[in-house]
Amino acid sequence: MVASTTMTDASKYQESDSANIDTPCSANVCATPDIEKKYVHHVYNAIAPHFSATRFARWPKVASFLNSLSPGAVILDAGCGNGKYLGFNPNCFYIGCDISPSLIDICAKKDHEVLVADAVNLPYKTNFGDAAISIAVLHHLSTESRRRKAIEELIRVVRKGGTVLITVWAVEQEDSSLLSKWTPLSEKYNEGWVSGSIPQVRNSAALMLKQIPEANEDCCSTTGISKHRYAHPGYGEEGRREDNVIAASFCNGIQEDAISSSKAVTNQEYFVPWHLPYHRAEVNGTSTTAIANGLAKKDDKKGAVVYNRYYHVFAEGELQRLVTGIENAATVEQFYDKSNWCIILQKR
Amino acid sequence: MRLLTHNMLSCNIKGVKNGYPLRLEAEKWTEKEVDFNAKFLRGIFPKIDWPALVGSARSFGFNDLLPDEAPDSSLLASDDDLLRRFHHALLEIHVEEGGLVCPETGRRFPINKGIPNLLLHEDEV
Repeated sequence: MVASTTMTDASKYQESDSANIDTPCSANVCATPDIEKKYVHHVYNAIAPHFSATRFARWPKVASFLNSLSPGAVILDAGCGNGKYLGFNPNCFYIGCDISPSLIDICAKKDHEVLVADAVNLPYKTNFGDAAISIAVLHHLSTESRRRKAIEELIRVVRKGGTVLITVWAVEQEDSSLLSKWTPLSEKYNEGWVSGSIPQVRNSAALMLKQIPEANEDCCSTTGISKHRYAHPGYGEEGRREDNVIAASFCNGIQEDAISSSKAVTNQEYFVPWHLPYHRAEVNGTSTTAIANGLAKKDDKKGAVVYNRYYHVFAEGELQRLVTGIENAATVEQFYDKSNWCIILQKR
Repeated sequence: MRLLTHNMLSCNIKGVKNGYPLRLEAEKWTEKEVDFNAKFLRGIFPKIDWPALVGSARSFGFNDLLPDEAPDSSLLASDDDLLRRFHHALLEIHVEEGGLVCPETGRRFPINKGIPNLLLHEDEV
């Protein structure tokens, strides 16, 4: 019974994924994959109060972006979490949305203007906002097509000349020891640890293909990005060289075979643990259910219920590559800061 | 949910062409005072879909709060009373319970505790 569910879920996922490769903007991009439901939405709903209590520090780069906006600007925060940036610049009007009702409840209690919505399909009119922000959101989307669609949505909802700030976790973490605390997805899958709905796509040709830009005009011009290069343990020369091999072979018109035969680049798919202290979990009945369903486990040593959050951590240049196919988006600035890749776009 | 938010919400169900404006069904609403910011109001005025704002204000019985036709922006600069009524409609009416209905499909998005839920079902994306 369990085994057959596994097969079905995994093959479904694979199917929709290959469809996404062919038609990156097809409608099914908007359908939420199981992995995000279980390891993003469900987790944030379960940990919302604890997550919120630990998320108050505002990031200077986001603050300066918000402070640069004119009085009267409408700012759309897509994936606002506990709403820590809502109302930051009091001369502007903020609307936050998040897919997690628990996090949105927290925002509403602080009197923020919020709604429950999906960042991949924003319920806003086209060309209305003056700015949109997506802070630490895109790395929770599990396919490249969905990550691109989310950027397209941010661009769509701002006016011509409006700006968009996106930040995502980088695979190149400043504290490299963090990576050893995360669970690379394919390995866990191979151990049979996770439930069957986690597809084994990590090392497949399909995933490698997804990492190739679908619009290839600019795929060889990585110069704008390379100025941020720096050495980092865990993201060594080998990974970098392979990046170049992929880009070069794509531009030469050599496709699937060459790409799939090259070794996988640095792992970018992870489970990142969230430790929910027992005293927090007790007031929250969902943890008991989550443990029973295998979506969380107890760690008596740490006195916490451990949830896994799905992350696709971004590699250098990846944000820029995603934006390349979006014709009405111009890159204003991109930078690395505090283990995040960031990009500021302007709608043309 | 305030009427400014309503003014920019649209139904994005797959295939829907006229998902704007969402029809507002308010079952419970409140009025809360908000700081008056003339600069903000004049800045946002050109973006506002006037008929949608007037229509949503009327759904609460505010029949005379705003003129039917969008005023000229110069009037908004000189007429402080009009600007204050605009301010009230836009920012001070909060829908607590009710729904937002797609004009094309009739799909109703619920509003609970002031929070609209615009998540789509799987067969709608």
